Amino acid sequence: MRYSYTKHRRKSAFTEDMQLLLIFFTITLLMLLLTYLFLLFKDYKFDESKKNLNQKQVDLNISIYNMKKQITFIEKQSIFAETVHTKNAVLKDSISNLFDLVPQRITLSEATLLENGLILNGITPNKNVYNFMLQAPLRSIFHRTYSSFYPAENGWFRFVSTNYIDKEEEEIELDEE
Amino acid sequence: MKNSGLSRQNIYVLIASLSLLIVVLSFSFFILIPKGKEYRIKKSEMIKIRRESNRYEKFNQDTLSLLKKLQADNRYTITALSTQFSEERFLKQHQQYFNTLTLSKKVIGEKDDEFITYDVNTTSKISSPKSIYDFLDAINKSDWIISVNFPIKFKREDSVIYSTFSMKVYSNPKKDLNSSK
Repeated sequence: MRYSYTKHRRKSAFTEDMQLLLIFFTITLLMLLLTYLFLLFKDYKFDESKKNLNQKQVDLNISIYNMKKQITFIEKQSIFAETVHTKNAVLKDSISNLFDLVPQRITLSEATLLENGLILNGITPNKNVYNFMLQAPLRSIFHRTYSSFYPAENGWFRFVSTNYIDKEEEEIELDEE
Repeated sequence: MKNSGLSRQNIYVLIASLSLLIVVLSFSFFILIPKGKEYRIKKSEMIKIRRESNRYEKFNQDTLSLLKKLQADNRYTITALSTQFSEERFLKQHQQYFNTLTLSKKVIGEKDDEFITYDVNTTSKISSPKSIYDFLDAINKSDWIISVNFPIKFKREDSVIYSTFSMKVYSNPKKDLNSSK
């Protein structure tokens, strides 16, 4: 038996207001969560980049060290080659000076260039020519000069001139300069 | 009948809102804000590391350019020091300065990490001292780094001069000199 002509209204806990509220709650929580995830992702990316950059720095360090080693080596080689070339040039000048030093009237038969000396063998018309024209300039260059003569067949004199530079004195002279 | 308080539904809404507020505040204060601070610190740290890394890279580039320049400037020396001494080639290149030129022996002398030296005794016959000057000039442009050493002996016999001297040829132990990183 019906007591009312109106139909009953089905009541639900999820009213329109509640639905709106739930959407709002969900959006709020989602935003918080997304922010957190963004921070986590960035954190991970930073760690990755840091690791890569650190590795890159280590590699660059090794590369710089190797290149510096090569640079030092090349510089050393360059200085060394220059020293050798200078030594050869000085040697050339020394030989040239030696031949210039000998006057035309004296004939050399043998010359030995030592690191700290010079040995000359030759022939001179007389002792005076040797003494004035060869021994005098030799004395001005070398610290110790020894000469010995023996007569040649044609009346000239064969001579042996031994000349040395004392290394210690040379060093003192360089120090004084 | 007059409604005296909040309806049951409003009470639920109030409870839910308060819960949300607590959750939001707790999440923000205990998780988000510390994480945000950490993010900020890491970001500034990253800027520093990047700057440092760029500095390293620039230094690496500068060093590489310097190395390339040195290699280009010293190409002759590098090649000369890494070329192995060959008696035949030496004689072929320098025979022209002498009437005769002979190399008597090739001995491997001092050997260290940097240079190997070959001791070579040379006997030659020249007609004028100019030949020896030309030879000494040519030796500085030869394929090897060679130093002429004392004692140097000149002996005159008739119209020719015999000269005897020793030479040191310098060579690098096998090393990749031209490689660059």
